[in-house]
Amino acid sequence: MIDFIITILEQGLIYGILALGVYITYKILDFPDLTADGSFPLGAAVTAALITRGVNPYLTLLASFAAGVLAGICTGLIHVKGKVRDLLSGIIMMTALWTINLRVAGTSNVPIFSKETIFKNSFLEGLLPEALLPYRTILVIIILTVIAKLLLDFYMSSKSGFLLRAVGDNDKLVTSLAKDQGNVKILGLAIANGLIALAGCIFCQEERVFEISMGTGAIVIGLASVIIGTSIFKNLSFMKATTSVIIGSILYKACTAVAMRNFEPQDMKLITAVLFLIVLLISMDRKKKVKTHA
Amino acid sequence: MKKTTTAKVVGAALLTMALAGTTTVYAEEQYTIGIEQFAEHGSLDNCREGFLAGLEEEGIVEGENLTVEYKNAAADMSMVGQISSSFASSNMDLICGIATPSAQSCYNAAMDKGIPVIYTAVTDPEAAELVDDSGNPVGEITGTSDKLPVAEQLEMIRTMLPDAKTIGILYTTSEANSESAIKVYESLAADYGFEIETTGITATADIPLAAEGLLGKVDCLTNLTDNTVVSSLPTILEMANEKNIPVFGSEIEQVKIGCLAAEGLDYIELGKQTGKMAAQVLKGEKKASEIPYETIAESSLYINSAVAENLGIDIPEELSGSAAETFTEIAEGK
Repeated sequence: MIDFIITILEQGLIYGILALGVYITYKILDFPDLTADGSFPLGAAVTAALITRGVNPYLTLLASFAAGVLAGICTGLIHVKGKVRDLLSGIIMMTALWTINLRVAGTSNVPIFSKETIFKNSFLEGLLPEALLPYRTILVIIILTVIAKLLLDFYMSSKSGFLLRAVGDNDKLVTSLAKDQGNVKILGLAIANGLIALAGCIFCQEERVFEISMGTGAIVIGLASVIIGTSIFKNLSFMKATTSVIIGSILYKACTAVAMRNFEPQDMKLITAVLFLIVLLISMDRKKKVKTHA
Repeated sequence: MKKTTTAKVVGAALLTMALAGTTTVYAEEQYTIGIEQFAEHGSLDNCREGFLAGLEEEGIVEGENLTVEYKNAAADMSMVGQISSSFASSNMDLICGIATPSAQSCYNAAMDKGIPVIYTAVTDPEAAELVDDSGNPVGEITGTSDKLPVAEQLEMIRTMLPDAKTIGILYTTSEANSESAIKVYESLAADYGFEIETTGITATADIPLAAEGLLGKVDCLTNLTDNTVVSSLPTILEMANEKNIPVFGSEIEQVKIGCLAAEGLDYIELGKQTGKMAAQVLKGEKKASEIPYETIAESSLYINSAVAENLGIDIPEELSGSAAETFTEIAEGK
């Protein structure tokens, strides 16, 4: 049972970082960004390519984030400078990234079983006491997720973060501050996809393999986590949105894990869709109420 | 005093015998295994059936002394990871991973728990890092490879089409198995006087255009075990038939639905072979790390004579004589 819970936490926290990225685009920028399905495996591809070449696994975290930032900037440029609709910009980048990921990784399946990863390396083994070694994966994931969350919180409270939040809510404000809202959007997409690629990097090292199809459905998991998290904890004002989103991701993974025990995996997509719809309907219901009061 | 001791000894001996008797009769070893299959696919289903049949031949029978938990990942990578972790955390005696992504993921989840993993339908265990450079298992994992009998296939095509020069192969760029099979084709083709022309696709939707382009450049096509291409085989066959270009298959099912011939694998046999390896590990005769991975020893030739007639090809006697099975009609493709 304890193993079952740890697995859910591991998966939920890794996808929690992805959900932080989706939170920026979907909730803050109001931008349905499908780049996620490509930038998640992009992070993994960069990681696998670097690790097989003997690069320190901790550096892959930064490299993946940077690769994701680039992907996000591309989506942003297509949308802002090319004036392509938001949904289409994401689809274009997602499609392009398929090839880029294959090229970066070299092939569609890259195992890294025999290599050192952020979870399994001599540095970590020397650092952790013996009793904690079986839990090193979850410990590392918790640390990384918390760092990602705190850095994002810190950024959001800065001046640039404030502008980012303003673009989604009230873009006139941004223009009135003599700032270009297009650039702010690009910045938001860059940070979001950086986080998503970072999640891909961690996932790749946890599974110890890169597989080209690993990003399929990433955006659905991200959106579901964001919606579950933000609608369940809507009334808890002391809780930061970033925390809610990560908890949303854990809850989503818990739901799928429980469903997987009782249903056939072939049915999982339908169950996911229904779960997603239910949460959406519940959260919409609340929105309407707010409007009638206003 | 002496008497009582003897009685005690005899009594103890009888008791031991009785106990030993009960252990052999009632306490037969019970096994629990998990089977994770990557996708719903005819060949992979056959592997699974064969695997259970192989275990049964070794006296490990589902429902009697074997409990099987079967999960299909529906080709979803995040599902693959979750299934493997759930198997690894529920104290299985052994996990069977069918197809490369499942085999890798099962091994990843099970290696720290010490649960042995048996795989099947992994084309290239070395590229998948399941064996080391010298072909030995990297840990408590072993199994069978479904490496295509490429040399046999090329020889068969040469016999069937003495004048052919170029063989076309359609494959999906995201399938690692196909890429490694193409490398083998390219390295062996010259030995049989062939050139290989390949076209990569990314999705089912690309097939009509890609096939059209490829068919213009080649004398015949040959299939790999590429999941995307094989599932669109009827489309490809129809286009090839219009141009009177023969298509060779890689397994029995493809010949049934209209490929001219195939030197193929019997996936049920492959599964059985895998099941027997699993039985050795379960019974404790050998550890998984001590068993090298196996490939199927011999390929079987399948021929479709109805297709040959449509194409106006006479099947040489040396081939028709050695065929494992000859089909006289073309079955409707799924």
